[in-house]
Amino acid sequence: MDLALDRLLAAANQVILGKQPQIRLAVCCLLARGHLLIEDIPGVGKTTLSHTLARLFGLEYQRIQFTSDILPADIVGSSVFDAHQQLFSFHPGPIFKQMILADEINRATPKAQSALLEAMEERQVTVEGRTYPLPQPFFVIATQNPAHQIGTFPLPESQVDRFLMRIELGYPSRQAERELLSGQPRHVLIDELPVALLPAQLADLQQAADQVYVSSALLDYLQAILAFSRQSTDFASGLSPRAGLGLLAAAKAWALIDKRQAVLPEDMQAVLPAVAGHRLNVGANDSAAIVAPILKHVPVL
Amino acid sequence: MPFLPSTRLMLFMLGSIGLITLPHAWHIPPLLFGFFTLLLLWRLLSVWQPRYLPNRFGVFLLMLLGIGLLYSQQHSVFGRDAGTSLFVVALGLKLLEIHGRRDVYVIVYLAFIVAVTQFLYEESILMALYILLVCGVLLATLITQNSQAPQTLAALKTSAAIILQSLPLALVLFVLFPRLEAPHWSWLDNDTHAKSGLSNTLEPGSIAELSLSPELVFRVKFAGDLPPPAQRYWRGPVYATTDGVSWRAPPVLGRENNPDQPAFTGVTYDYTLMMEPQKQNWVFALEMPTQFGAGLRRNGVYQLITNKNPGDRAEYQLSSSPVYNTGGISKTERRENLQLPGKPSEKIVELVKQLQGRQAGPELFIGNLLQHFRQENFHYTLSPEAMPDKPIETFLFERRAGFCSHYATAFVYLLRVAEIPARVVGGYQGGQINDVGGFLEIRQADAHAWAEAWLEGRGWVRFDPTAAIAPERIERGVNVDLQIASGAVNFSPIQLDAKTLSWLQRGRQLWQSVDYNWQRWIINYDTVNQRAFLQSLGIDNFVKLGYWLLISVAGVGGVLAWRLLRPNLRRQDPALMLYRQFCAKLSKAGIKVDVGDGPKTVAERAKGLRPDLAEAIERITAIYIRLRYQSDTEASDLQVLKKLVASFRV
Amino acid sequence: MSEAALPLKQRLKLSRFFSGEAPTAGPIVLTQRRVFILPTQRGLAFVLLILLLVLIGFVYNNNLAYLLGFLLASIFFVTILHSFKALAGLTIQPARPQAVFAGQAGPYSFQISNPGSQPRFAVDLTLQSELSISLAAEQTQIVTLYQPTHQRGWQLPGTLTVSSTYPLGLFRAWAPLRFDSPLLVYPKPANQQLPFPESGGGQDKPGQNRRSGDEFDGVRVYQRGDAIRQIHWKAFAKGQGVHSKYYSGASSSELWLDYQQAPGHHLEERLSQLCRWLVDAEQAGLRYGLVLPGLRLPPDNGAAHYRNCLQALALF
Repeated sequence: MDLALDRLLAAANQVILGKQPQIRLAVCCLLARGHLLIEDIPGVGKTTLSHTLARLFGLEYQRIQFTSDILPADIVGSSVFDAHQQLFSFHPGPIFKQMILADEINRATPKAQSALLEAMEERQVTVEGRTYPLPQPFFVIATQNPAHQIGTFPLPESQVDRFLMRIELGYPSRQAERELLSGQPRHVLIDELPVALLPAQLADLQQAADQVYVSSALLDYLQAILAFSRQSTDFASGLSPRAGLGLLAAAKAWALIDKRQAVLPEDMQAVLPAVAGHRLNVGANDSAAIVAPILKHVPVL
Repeated sequence: MPFLPSTRLMLFMLGSIGLITLPHAWHIPPLLFGFFTLLLLWRLLSVWQPRYLPNRFGVFLLMLLGIGLLYSQQHSVFGRDAGTSLFVVALGLKLLEIHGRRDVYVIVYLAFIVAVTQFLYEESILMALYILLVCGVLLATLITQNSQAPQTLAALKTSAAIILQSLPLALVLFVLFPRLEAPHWSWLDNDTHAKSGLSNTLEPGSIAELSLSPELVFRVKFAGDLPPPAQRYWRGPVYATTDGVSWRAPPVLGRENNPDQPAFTGVTYDYTLMMEPQKQNWVFALEMPTQFGAGLRRNGVYQLITNKNPGDRAEYQLSSSPVYNTGGISKTERRENLQLPGKPSEKIVELVKQLQGRQAGPELFIGNLLQHFRQENFHYTLSPEAMPDKPIETFLFERRAGFCSHYATAFVYLLRVAEIPARVVGGYQGGQINDVGGFLEIRQADAHAWAEAWLEGRGWVRFDPTAAIAPERIERGVNVDLQIASGAVNFSPIQLDAKTLSWLQRGRQLWQSVDYNWQRWIINYDTVNQRAFLQSLGIDNFVKLGYWLLISVAGVGGVLAWRLLRPNLRRQDPALMLYRQFCAKLSKAGIKVDVGDGPKTVAERAKGLRPDLAEAIERITAIYIRLRYQSDTEASDLQVLKKLVASFRV
Repeated sequence: MSEAALPLKQRLKLSRFFSGEAPTAGPIVLTQRRVFILPTQRGLAFVLLILLLVLIGFVYNNNLAYLLGFLLASIFFVTILHSFKALAGLTIQPARPQAVFAGQAGPYSFQISNPGSQPRFAVDLTLQSELSISLAAEQTQIVTLYQPTHQRGWQLPGTLTVSSTYPLGLFRAWAPLRFDSPLLVYPKPANQQLPFPESGGGQDKPGQNRRSGDEFDGVRVYQRGDAIRQIHWKAFAKGQGVHSKYYSGASSSELWLDYQQAPGHHLEERLSQLCRWLVDAEQAGLRYGLVLPGLRLPPDNGAAHYRNCLQALALF
């Protein structure tokens, strides 16, 4: 199974060039049963990344383009009256797929955003008093334009917390860009991609990630990080207990990808920018810079 | 901030105040103690029913009542009893008036003063412990007052800790603080409460009463050997005048100037005698005292008299010699010691004649008389039948059973009839050796009466007719425990066997030893004792004392401060400590280790900078990670890590 | 953490005992340098009590009275150590202060941790307001104390005094601390509710462009072109014909709040009015921009924008 994971990462790196760390974080996020927020300008490959992952994991894939006039019903679906049968029938929305790419989520109104976020959190949809479970696994990759663009509704602070990780893709390196330009179109490559991991295998991996050992020394370190974030004047708000749980789950998945059975401080440090960056309300987008004081000052020893 | 004392605080405080005042029930007038108890109960009730508390006017009325009671009972505010009553009543009144934290403090401080007045009545070790415990509760009251919500138990624990931490310093101050002889203020004196013991008059039953009392009279610690039991006569009052029933010790003033000083030969015993509080200012020296301290004088009948307050414990350094000759006798003395209450009866004159009283020399007559006691079926008993009328004749011719005072008085009476100067001597005989403390304890049960006769060329000679009929009384002494066990005296429903008895005795001896040392070192640590003790330390002036005081207080305080203020940090993981050593070694080699670096990061950086050490670094890191972060730790890991880190050289 | 040694001159400065040392940013560990101890009034009364007991011992020649007196004297001494222990080691750090409008009580938060294994009882904290807390072993607590605010801008907390009379109340140990953790005070919003100014500073046209949003607005008869999911199926089921639900978007008007347009006689009054508008605009969910001389914040809404605008006013 470890080999399958390696194959998967290798294949993804073939499609998305020069973005190994981001791909790894995205996979890690999936293994930790979290949702992913990608924040970047259009065109850097957000869609490609999500599509590639869906392919490799063999998940049903649906892209939802968020616009300013999208309604909650456009996302979750609505009840339609069938005049012949004299019955209401539920027409499921696009969200009833295993992997959702919620593109440009900050273009939609808060109402539409929260419809998505509620579904993400509860992994089910409630329409007209009836509850419809979402498929398993359920994984949302949302993309967001940088907040300073006009005509956007940035996700409220309380809601970005629903995403386990936020990553930035950034422009490709010169060499990667050259390969991109000279190679085949990406969508062709994606269509050719084999399924690297069966859904059952994914479930097993997620379970294995849960069982990665966490020593009390590591929990001390985690608590020190949380305490530091709450004390430090560098941050507008400290990390919530939910953030702590997310950090732990992500670090476990990271250790699993690294083929280890125990979490090391380095795992925690590796996932920290992605997990904590968007929760500290600093305003800046560079997650690595945001969490730098934590990495520098919280003692591991 | 409005002050609302919590129920717990109030119960704490009222409880400790009740405890601290309780022993005064025996010390202050019942009316005043009753008044105090009433106030205390009132306050206790109002803990749950605050509306029953009196208002300011009510308190004022109660105060007037208290003052009235005080005045009617004590007439003064000075002196021990009056002062104690004053403080107790003040404490009771203050209880009804708690409006702020300040009042709680006033009450606790008053309670401390009441605590100290207990010591003016009783200085036993038990009382001291009792007061110490109650002081602990008082301190806990203050702790409850100053902390938001500590548990009752925690407050008591803290107060116990504070007291224990304070004791060493208190002892240093106790030993070194200069004791000055306080002037004796007469207005502070109070009568001591009636104590049992020998008195000026020897009534027929008086010694029998004492013989049941295990109350301690004095203790003696000999510098060298103990005198044999037959010589342990502790001289008390001399009874020379009789009315035929009772014997009295005449006023001693007129007989100070005895013509001859006694002459002593043979062995001398040096000893320390520690008197318990007494009614009379008599000091019971071993016959015959040769040397005694400044506070004592020997009166004309060779009894030692102290000029200290007999109600206090006192300690005396004495020397005695059992072989002595008191020399001649003055005419007055001879006349006094031949005094008889009227003419003796025919029967007695007949008996004296029969024993060759007038014909032979006094020594022969005395010998015959003692022989008579031995042979004529005389018994020794502590519970003889009453002989109210003509006791001597009844005793000699009818009952023939009695105890020491019967024998001694009869003996002296007969000697006087035979015109030999004789007198009855009261005091104590024997005493019990305390094996633990190595001293002799003399109790009221050891009270004894014997006779003394003046013989030409020998002076006053002691004769003990009791020894003639009950030699074991003299050899072994009176043992209250044994008497109880043998059934001679019975006031306990429980029959004790010999084994229990020996345990009992052992326990009593141990306790007496503790008590002796308490008396010796704590209660009697006065100006003289302090000077002697300090001189043994080489402190002979106030400047040196000041230095000592300063140095000891600083020393004890320093140790305490060090003990108390040590930071108590959490115990560190040993693996982490070893890894820190490893990091320190790396730092020495110029490999920077930041606080935020994980072990793998450190290892990578170190290997990059020092490839030559790569293997050791990897092994150390692997074991450290296993110990600290993994679940599959091996038992030997810590040892291996220790060795690896120790042998790691950069 | 070790602090730099204090020069003798500063060490002896009297103000150190009451108002503390120069403000610092970081966590302060209470050490012998920070903690001062003096007997309280009750402590002085306790000394009198000790003297009285020793006097009784002297007058009555009573060694146990002496002993009790000396015991209390030792307790007095030992309590000094305990008083110091009540505070020693506590670590105090200013937490992030929440900005307030002038006139409101300024909340200053401090994080107090007890690193030792002994609990601390009744630690009093005084700024302008007072608070008494207990800390269990190895516990950390965040407390908020208040200090009135009058002027907009940064406002430093006054001297925070941490004190305790634990255990016996005979001594008061206190540590005056000053922190460099300023609180941002926004201008006081003006009282009168003036209408928003006519937009002037922005390039966008004022007014509302109606568009389909997600606020349910009403029902109208179905028209061709209405989306199928907008049909009011429940009405249709009841046989009331085909109707469409229509929605209005959140009002998307853009508002420019300009310093020049704010009424007021002087700077503070104008800022105060701008502040009022900002508060109202945010509450109304409008998009607003702020124009101050030399500063221009483009229209936006949301908490971050709101904070930025208020901060600009506070520090103008």
